[in-house]
Amino acid sequence: MDWNCTVTEERLSDFLEGTLALPERDACAAHAEACASCSEILARVGALVTDMHALEELPEPSHLARRIINNTRPTPRRGQEFSSWSGWLSLIWQPRFAIGLATVAVTAVILAHAARPQLSRLTPADLNPVNLVRAGNRQAHLTYARGEKFVNDLRVVYEIRAMLASPTQAEPGNQGTPSSGARPNTSEHEDETQQRSEARVERGSMVWAMLFPFTDEGAPPSANRRTP
Amino acid sequence: MYNLCYRFTGNSAAAEDLSQEVFLRVYRTLGSYEAAYGAFATWLTSVTRNLLVDHYRRTRRDRLTDSIDQAPQVEETHSTERTPHQQAEAAELSAQVQMGLAKLSPELREAVILRDLQGMEYGEIRKVLQVPEGTVKSRINRGRLELARILREMGVRAS
Repeated sequence: MDWNCTVTEERLSDFLEGTLALPERDACAAHAEACASCSEILARVGALVTDMHALEELPEPSHLARRIINNTRPTPRRGQEFSSWSGWLSLIWQPRFAIGLATVAVTAVILAHAARPQLSRLTPADLNPVNLVRAGNRQAHLTYARGEKFVNDLRVVYEIRAMLASPTQAEPGNQGTPSSGARPNTSEHEDETQQRSEARVERGSMVWAMLFPFTDEGAPPSANRRTP
Repeated sequence: MYNLCYRFTGNSAAAEDLSQEVFLRVYRTLGSYEAAYGAFATWLTSVTRNLLVDHYRRTRRDRLTDSIDQAPQVEETHSTERTPHQQAEAAELSAQVQMGLAKLSPELREAVILRDLQGMEYGEIRKVLQVPEGTVKSRINRGRLELARILREMGVRAS
């Protein structure tokens, strides 16, 4: 193989990296032994490549990573800020929100109107925490007492209604017309009517007794009121 | 990325700016990456290389006004496995190689950096530089010869 200095330079890297075929490698080595210039080039370039492969990587500056992160982090643009605000406005700018706002305003006006007289009578002593606690406690007890009274009244009313309603429901059963269809005689019918009226009067007096219990004098309050 | 940028530019500030620019560009164009193109590292190197070429063209006028013999900054490497003497030798060699690389043409410089400093395969370099593999080999070979000649002229002795 005709191997010269030009071929040595052209195939230098292949020789150094060992990718030359065996005959070419032998020819190159033989030429290098005979040619001082090519031998020096091979040695110098081989050493350079070895040195460069052995070079350590340069350490990155410590602030570089932080700098890159800071610069790649997305920052909100002006348009995006406006779009976020417009997003909130689109939520508020709706009929149901306007209706709700109007309802709250009307409620506030009513409450202010109702509380105005009490607010006008408000004194500095009313703002004392002790007084506030006492007033709250009193209001709670009053509310409880009113509730209890209401429940009791309701119970009495239902008892009265039940007592008044029970004879009218029982009457059809008591009338019990004979299966023969014969009409009862007149005296029995009159007795029955009288008994019913007496029972009605008795229940009425019981209701009155429940509604207006007797006073210490033993007379109903209604009687006292009539005869002061 | 920082090493590649520094070896190509020889300037730590420019290397930092370019490294940041690489990540910004990757951040913006990540959707354009396709696995068929090759390994992600190869694509990343390709992006870096394009930015380096842009930077080289952009700063060509500045370099013409600068002194050719201006020595690049020497960045010391610290290794716990080497003695201080070896570390000093390595730092000196790194600076000399850097100075020699700065005098190479961009085409030869990028080929030598990718092969001998970044340790990339010929196929990967072909994809990054987007030239035939024969051209890659030719550039690497000429770059090594030229760099060895420059270092010899600088008085650097081979180890």
